Amino acid sequence: MSSEKTTRGPAWLGQYLRDHILLIAIVAIFVAYPFLYGFLTNQFGIVAAMILPETRTMLTILALGLFAMSFDFVSGYTGYLSFGHAAFFGIGAYFVVMGFNGQIPLVPAELPFMLLLVLGGLVAAVAAFLIGLISFRLSGVYFAMITLGISEVLYVISNNWDYITPGSSDPSDGVAAGAPSDVGFFEPVLGIPFVDPLNAKVGPFGDETLLGFDFGDPEIVSYFLIGAAVLLCYLAMKRIIHSPFGKVMIAIRENEERARAIGYNTFRYKMGAFMISAFFGAIAGGLLVAYVGTIDPQNSFFFLVTGFALVAAIIGGLGTLAGPFFGYIFLEGVREFLAREGSGGGLQPFLEQTLPGGVLNINLGGLTINEALDAFMTGHGEFYAGIIFVLFVLYIPIGLLGTLRQRLGTDSVAKYVSRRVADRFGSSGSQPAE
Amino acid sequence: MIDPAAPLVIGDIVDLLTSPGEMSRIVVEGLAKGSLYLMISAGLTLIFGLMDVINFAHGAFTMYGAYIAGAALLGLGVGSMGFLGAMGSIFVVMLLVFLLLAAVGVIFEVALIRKLYEYPPIFMILLTFGLAITLEELMRMIVEFREINNGQWQIDWATPRIESVPSELASVNELGFFSFTGLQLIQIAFGVLTFVGIWAFLNKTRYGLFVRAGVEDEEMAKALGININRTFTAVFAVGSGLAGIAGVMLALDPLWAVNVPLALAVLLPAFVIVIVGGLGSFKGTAVASLLVGMIDALGTWAFQTGVITFTDLDQLMIFGILVVMLILRPRGLFGVEGQGDHG
Repeated sequence: MSSEKTTRGPAWLGQYLRDHILLIAIVAIFVAYPFLYGFLTNQFGIVAAMILPETRTMLTILALGLFAMSFDFVSGYTGYLSFGHAAFFGIGAYFVVMGFNGQIPLVPAELPFMLLLVLGGLVAAVAAFLIGLISFRLSGVYFAMITLGISEVLYVISNNWDYITPGSSDPSDGVAAGAPSDVGFFEPVLGIPFVDPLNAKVGPFGDETLLGFDFGDPEIVSYFLIGAAVLLCYLAMKRIIHSPFGKVMIAIRENEERARAIGYNTFRYKMGAFMISAFFGAIAGGLLVAYVGTIDPQNSFFFLVTGFALVAAIIGGLGTLAGPFFGYIFLEGVREFLAREGSGGGLQPFLEQTLPGGVLNINLGGLTINEALDAFMTGHGEFYAGIIFVLFVLYIPIGLLGTLRQRLGTDSVAKYVSRRVADRFGSSGSQPAE
Repeated sequence: MIDPAAPLVIGDIVDLLTSPGEMSRIVVEGLAKGSLYLMISAGLTLIFGLMDVINFAHGAFTMYGAYIAGAALLGLGVGSMGFLGAMGSIFVVMLLVFLLLAAVGVIFEVALIRKLYEYPPIFMILLTFGLAITLEELMRMIVEFREINNGQWQIDWATPRIESVPSELASVNELGFFSFTGLQLIQIAFGVLTFVGIWAFLNKTRYGLFVRAGVEDEEMAKALGININRTFTAVFAVGSGLAGIAGVMLALDPLWAVNVPLALAVLLPAFVIVIVGGLGSFKGTAVASLLVGMIDALGTWAFQTGVITFTDLDQLMIFGILVVMLILRPRGLFGVEGQGDHG
């Protein structure tokens, strides 16, 4: 986050900052969010709580948003639908937990969390290489199905392999980092290694201070650190996509035969993209575990984990890297608003409090409105998510970000904003700040 | 994973090979399971073969069929009807489920799927996936809301379901070497019926001719005056109805649980079978169903005799078949070059 400071730097820095003004603004909003949430819910009470997701929900959104981006990295840019992407998410998550529990051969239990995270990513990349060897012989529906098949194999194994959970507990119930009796034992340190002020323990029992500031809430510190990691991953993926390598990926999506005819070894590029996206997918899994501390097959290797990344990618815009991230926020927002999937508010408690009792008790065929609200607006997020998804596929198939780009007539919203800002503040903006 | 008594494996296999009774039991079970798998995947393969639509909502259709069948079994009091009455009412329920889900299929095809024919095939996956999650959640809402099975959507609905199935179906019959239950006989009969029915539909009827022409060359079929759109609608309706019928069959089988997760439990093996058989090939699907059924029966036997103690072995094996098959023959048993490749 230090890049926000507009100190007197070399000329390229000013230019760089001006080119990334939208990114900086969005990062600033994310940084301010936990305080904003507290302020707004204090100020506007239940109306704000109804619309805004809690900071804790935002934590999972960050990790799963990164997963959606990594899914889009291969599926949206090379056109190969990686339908078993959950495999990599699960590998990352399980690697961190099992590594911490000292169950992985050659990996000592006391390894720092950051190393575990990166190692998990590398393991996922190797797994992607092996999966790719089989599945890149095919394309289209076959590719989607064979990746799905392999991830289902991993799902079944993670559901049954009792090595994962030493002792007697059922592997399908999931596994916690550290002994279950010792809550708070798992304290992953996230940050830049060897720079003390930039490190902190993540998790519900983690540190409350970061960079010397006392936030008084480990949730906020975790939010910042995980957010910084997600930002870093995003920038790395974006860099790759804008590199010549990324251009070849897009060429493969548009016309693989032609890319091959020009002389590119498309197999290598596809494999590279698949491995990179597996790496970041595993990082996302590890980051989720960093805060939650436990993982189970349903939330890692399961087919619907990929499913929701896909939904997020379509809503945000397939083939736009940031799109799936915002798509996931949108999706999660809708689920929380209409179904109270998160722990926050939602429409139902709002209606319950604001509608007069007479309305709530109106009887509709053996059912009061209050009961109906309870039945249809709690815990059925998939229902609304599915309908919204179908509507997007039918009417906005290029997604939110894709539509925005089309409306603005640009291939990059960030560039567009920078240009507009530069136009408006032309003379003052072109000089480095003195 | 291997039992401490692992050295027995070879002995067990020798025992199996030398005991015709055991062997025939596995074959019959494999046939019965294969028939069920054929019924599950027939609709999927029919729809894919013609329309290039991988129907992710297929499992949800089967789940709805199973719930309706369960409701009918319990609601009609089939258990107290006597064997013939029970079988008759099950048959009627099957017919109704077919018509109902075929109607749903028509609505989906006309209202939603038709809009996306011009898009890359991946959009069909997306659309039907969205439908699948919505349908599953809708059933979850219904179950919780009407307090079916005390609102427990994840647990098998209503144990009396098994009791209301006529007891004649569970009894073991002997015929020479072969011993089989009535249920297995009915499953095999329906599997054969499904196979013959679809085969006859494709090869002996005028509509089947249209369908095959559409598979072969859509543009040419259109040019020859075949109403491809109507053919698509009809095939989607038949495929959806078949999914429903499979659900009714599953509701009769105590090994399958009638619950919301059934949708996925059906969908994934059906995909495997369709792909192992080769996308778009009905013959391939039939062969692959039998193959998967046999391997499933062998796995069950291995688990029952304690050779292997891995509870979800059958699932692992089904997906193992998929991976091995795609390594050996990337296009499946009877796959056609080009089908399902693009997009």
